[in-house]
Amino acid sequence: MADLLGFVLSGLVSGALYALLATGLVLSYSASGLFNFAHGATAYLCALGFYELHSGFGWPAIPTALLLVFVIAPGLGWALDRLMFRKLARVGETAQIVATIGLLVALPALGLWVVELLEEAGASVKPAENQFGLPGVGPSPAESWQLMDGVGIDSDQLITWVATAVVAVGLWILMRHTPLGLRLRASVDNRSLVELRGISADRLSSLAWMLSSGLAGLAGVLATPLLGLSSHDFTLFLFVSATAAVLGRFMSIPLAFAGGLGLGVLQNLVAGYASFADDITGFRTAVPFLILFAGLLILTRRQRTAGTAAVDAPPIDYLAGKSWAHKWGPWAVAAVLLALAFYTVTTPFWSGILAQGLAISLVFISFTVVTGLGAMVSLAQATFVTGAAMVAGLLMSHGWPFIGAALVGTCVAAVLGALVALPALRLGGRSLALATLALAFLADQVLFQMGWLRNGDTGWEIPRPVFGPVDLTDDRAMGVAMVVLVVAAVAAVSALRDSPSGRAMLAVRSAPAAAMASGVSVVRTKLMLFTLSAGLAGFGGVMYASYQTRITATDFTAMTGLIWLAVVVAAGVRRPQFAVVAGLVFAVMPPLMSDYVTESAHLPVILFGLAGLALANDPDGYAAAASVRRHRRKAAASSPAPDGGARPADPAPTATDAALQLRGVRAGYDGAPVLTGVDLAVRPGEILALLGPNGAGKSTTCKVAAGLLSAQGGTVYVAGHDATRHGAVRRARAGVVLAPEGRGIFPSLTIEENLALHLPDKAAREAVYARFPRLAERRKVTAGSLSGGEQQMLALAPLLQDPPKVLIADEPSLGLAPRVVDEVFQLLTELRDAGTALLLVEEKAAEILGVADTVAYLSQGKVTWCGPRSEVQADRLTEAYLGIAGAKGSEGPDSEGPDSEGAGSEGPGPEGAGSEEQEAGSAGVNGAVPRPAQPGDAPTPTAADTGDADNGTDTSTGTGTDPSAPSTEVARP
Amino acid sequence: MLRSFRAIAAASAALLLATACNSASNSSGSSGDPGKGATVRGVTDDSIKVGGIVSMTTASGYSKKDTDLGAKARYDRANAEGGINGRKIDYIGAEDDGQDPGKNLAAARKLVQQEKVFAVSPMSSVTFSGADFLEQQKVPTFGWGTIPQFCSNPHIYGFNGCLVPMPGGTITQSWPEGLAHVLGGAKGKSVAILANDNDAGKFGIRTYQQGFAAAGFKVAYAKASVPATSTPNDWSAYTKEILRSNGGKAPDAVVSVMQTPYNIGLFTALKRSGFKGLLTDPTDYDPGLLAKKTTAQALDGVHVLLSFEPFESDSAQMQQFKEDIKKAAGKDVPLNMHMLTGYMSADFFLAIAEKAGKDLTVESFQKAASTYSDTGTMVGDRALPKGQKEAFGCGALVQLKNGKYEVSSPFKCYEPIPFK
Repeated sequence: MADLLGFVLSGLVSGALYALLATGLVLSYSASGLFNFAHGATAYLCALGFYELHSGFGWPAIPTALLLVFVIAPGLGWALDRLMFRKLARVGETAQIVATIGLLVALPALGLWVVELLEEAGASVKPAENQFGLPGVGPSPAESWQLMDGVGIDSDQLITWVATAVVAVGLWILMRHTPLGLRLRASVDNRSLVELRGISADRLSSLAWMLSSGLAGLAGVLATPLLGLSSHDFTLFLFVSATAAVLGRFMSIPLAFAGGLGLGVLQNLVAGYASFADDITGFRTAVPFLILFAGLLILTRRQRTAGTAAVDAPPIDYLAGKSWAHKWGPWAVAAVLLALAFYTVTTPFWSGILAQGLAISLVFISFTVVTGLGAMVSLAQATFVTGAAMVAGLLMSHGWPFIGAALVGTCVAAVLGALVALPALRLGGRSLALATLALAFLADQVLFQMGWLRNGDTGWEIPRPVFGPVDLTDDRAMGVAMVVLVVAAVAAVSALRDSPSGRAMLAVRSAPAAAMASGVSVVRTKLMLFTLSAGLAGFGGVMYASYQTRITATDFTAMTGLIWLAVVVAAGVRRPQFAVVAGLVFAVMPPLMSDYVTESAHLPVILFGLAGLALANDPDGYAAAASVRRHRRKAAASSPAPDGGARPADPAPTATDAALQLRGVRAGYDGAPVLTGVDLAVRPGEILALLGPNGAGKSTTCKVAAGLLSAQGGTVYVAGHDATRHGAVRRARAGVVLAPEGRGIFPSLTIEENLALHLPDKAAREAVYARFPRLAERRKVTAGSLSGGEQQMLALAPLLQDPPKVLIADEPSLGLAPRVVDEVFQLLTELRDAGTALLLVEEKAAEILGVADTVAYLSQGKVTWCGPRSEVQADRLTEAYLGIAGAKGSEGPDSEGPDSEGAGSEGPGPEGAGSEEQEAGSAGVNGAVPRPAQPGDAPTPTAADTGDADNGTDTSTGTGTDPSAPSTEVARP
Repeated sequence: MLRSFRAIAAASAALLLATACNSASNSSGSSGDPGKGATVRGVTDDSIKVGGIVSMTTASGYSKKDTDLGAKARYDRANAEGGINGRKIDYIGAEDDGQDPGKNLAAARKLVQQEKVFAVSPMSSVTFSGADFLEQQKVPTFGWGTIPQFCSNPHIYGFNGCLVPMPGGTITQSWPEGLAHVLGGAKGKSVAILANDNDAGKFGIRTYQQGFAAAGFKVAYAKASVPATSTPNDWSAYTKEILRSNGGKAPDAVVSVMQTPYNIGLFTALKRSGFKGLLTDPTDYDPGLLAKKTTAQALDGVHVLLSFEPFESDSAQMQQFKEDIKKAAGKDVPLNMHMLTGYMSADFFLAIAEKAGKDLTVESFQKAASTYSDTGTMVGDRALPKGQKEAFGCGALVQLKNGKYEVSSPFKCYEPIPFK
């Protein structure tokens, strides 16, 4: 019993550190939606900083620790957020994962480099190597107390517990009982909705990153006596604590915190009672990774997205339609030149380096297959490499010929790949990445520890093959042979990409559900990709091993795989040629750097790591960056009305009395225009119903109006002021509120909290409860558990208390029972009566016509008719819905190019609804009867008499709320 | 697509053909024969070029960078004494391999192909993927023989022999015998041996279990069970088992076959749970550890195995070593075993080069090495080719007491036992 208590108590120490790190992971994940692999590196940097400042410069321990935890670490988090994470939140998940992996490598090297430079400058820093038993915040050496027989604690442990407990309480208060915490939790729930409520998600993200880094810093300072100064240990520690973050599903801070504590205890118990596994070498070492893997499998069962990146916009194919010579000519010439170089210009040393680079290129191409084609991040490629090479070596030691051994090795790697893929396939994105990482560690610690496979530290000899006259023991011959193999691999992968199965893969990548519906087996496709990629990595591994003529089990570890991924993705993972570039750069750069730049081994590491940073700007990698940018510029130049110069020439004055006006607005998603010139105006106290068929651009109009998507042309006026360049936050603050499609609520906040976000004033909330007794009854219930109608009520109710200037409601009746729809419309009418200008998007035209004052038809990205409700005719309505109105005679969506980069940097990227519209929008019906749009006549003024007497608390700016006679103004298309 | 495939296939065939012709005509002449012609790689009339490979920067925070300083100190003295047979040693310093196999090989290639060194000394790392290349290029290489490559290649020498026991080879007994010396005999004494949970740990357990038993100890506990990737921060699971291993009682000695951070944790935990027996490990002979209170306290009383003469010894050659290091560093620096590794690697190379005589070629060097032997060095009695199969078998134990190391079992060479 004392044993058990002892294990639990001391397990809580590592548990506390896991909890701190896991909490930080969850915070940063919720802020930017990315799993920060570099979180452990941040902790390491703080440990290093603490050591140098405390032991090197002799600063007192506690102030130094406070400085690090409250100033330096948050500062680092803030800087990284500004420089990197904020941008990364908008690119694909692969780039996110890779960029933080790059940081994981770069940050510790950066710290060590700084120490090195300081040392050269004569500062009193201490060497960072071989440091063990470092002093922590407490007394050094630690005081220890014996609680009972066999159960003792020391001062370092006590400090860790106390600090963690303080953090837990502090976090709980912050998150549960402060407005800031409420906002943070809301932004975890739904980032874009937070922006629509006028709260800057970017600022919240900065805050979350600062908090997260501060927690990492605290963990680093506390762990200094335990872990010493080993960035490797800190990173491993982080991976283990990722399990706790998984427990909290990357969402729940309390769960992650508790998970971390439990994990420490569990790990200790397993270590204490795992004598059953004594015969399995490496089992105890592998325990944390077993837990991580099991946790991922069990806890991520809910989403069955089968391993796709969430939304991965396809890259721009800047070579589309170019000739073969144009596509491949430069590469073919480069390959021939490289092959010739081996026998002409390169010295033996450089021949060797180039051959090495080419051999690693083969491995790198395997990333093109799994990550480029399949959008799955595999961190287990090094395992396949080692596995294949070990098996080949084992066979060759039994007298097998090279080719036979290489083939069997390749097949073994492929089988390993399939084995890794099978359990991992149903996981997506970061879970898949973490699962493959866990498996890679398991392989390192258990599989490759098996004596018969490993052959001790000697490993296996893999002599270079000799085929008749071709003797690859010569580096030059090896190099040329590698050129041939690499060319073949590039050609094969390119051919695969263009083949029917390649198209199936791309289909699975971009839309698994759609692919499934078209008869493509997602699981089989993904399994095939993984297997192929593993096989290719294995083959590359055998070739690399034969280059170095030997393979040992420690040559390529799981961590190596991490670095490889960062190097490949930084170059570009979409095309196999880029992997070759990456391989050559990986091999050639370090010797070049040491010859010409600096002897310091840190700088190349920093550069490789920071290449990931560049992904924030060029998610498709540096090898493609120039081409992609040139292509975008060209496309922008060829677009009929280039960005910025498209303000309507219409000299007509803007409708100053309109609360919201869109003039000639053009917008779309990367490469696909949706709106081609929308003109709309809504006045205070008016309901404008925007009708149109699926794909006409209704949701896009809403997004542009609310500032979620920036217009590529045209102008958006809010209360007569140009707000085109304002993002969602500024628009919301100016009183423009979007109730997005679906429900505009935060499902994991309670009703009370949902209301509090909008109505900080308690009295106002009570007024809402008085108006909606159903909400009052359940104010402590999470909003997600309400019925659809109640959720919609909850979304609209606070608006009644504090009517916005403009409400844009995207299908407010979607999925609601008819009776509830009536209630919703009743609410909307009330809002109109309170002076709000409403832009309603609806498909259920019949109901909305009952409340609308003005009706506009949207078709193929243009308003084709707009007029008072009274003039709406049934046939016109039908035509609008069938998308035939105005199709002929107007240009329709044409070949307008995509926006040049930079624009659109405020709103989030294209979302599902948008892409659906793109496709539907281009499928418009031609040959319809032209129906000229008519300038709107003033409809009968609606009652706007209630005015704003009872809502003087309006904080929004803008021109007054005088409800002048509503009218509609529509420019002719 | 078909067309492009054909084009690629044709191009590949042509390239391969060219390769074949070229390699056929080249392979005979180009496979790095340093003795070709009148010149010997790295040797001129008045100089011998030598380089080194050392793990200096690593992610684990473990660095051997002072190996470079040790080697430099020894070469400086050789040059100050007039060089080797009239030739000065041109030591170009050590390449950093960062414990990365890829970089280790690249470093070996750079030294041979770009710098064109005659020999590599010192080579001290945890990985030695450059070994096959160095062997193939016939580069005499000297270093710390903790890696199997030091035990099987004719051109690669460990400065204190090959430290990896090979089946059919021998196990050095300096640790068990030294411990027996400290305990006043092994009879009736029990030991517990603990190692990391990986293949290397298992191998360590296997050898030391046999070695301690052969010396007369009762091996009460021998497990490779400590997680190998990162230091446990709770040791109670292990200490409890150990403290009950000797029939419910604590063993007389606990032998740790692990690295410093592990030893600090294990020994601290053992002491806190009241263990009064003897503690010993093979890695913690680093005066730098004394500088910090935590480590000094954790390791206080621990007997550390060294396979060279302790710095505390007052022999003439140790005096010389300290002087040389001070001169090379330009100031007083705390000594550590990496300096000695570098120093003695250089020393071994110099001794053989001296013996090879004025006509220094790889062949003459190898010939001199094949029969080399001397006695009474800081690593004991050196003899080749025995040293390429087994360790020189000498060692001492020092005990950390009150912030100082004291010799607890003097430096001595022991008879090895066959490794089964």
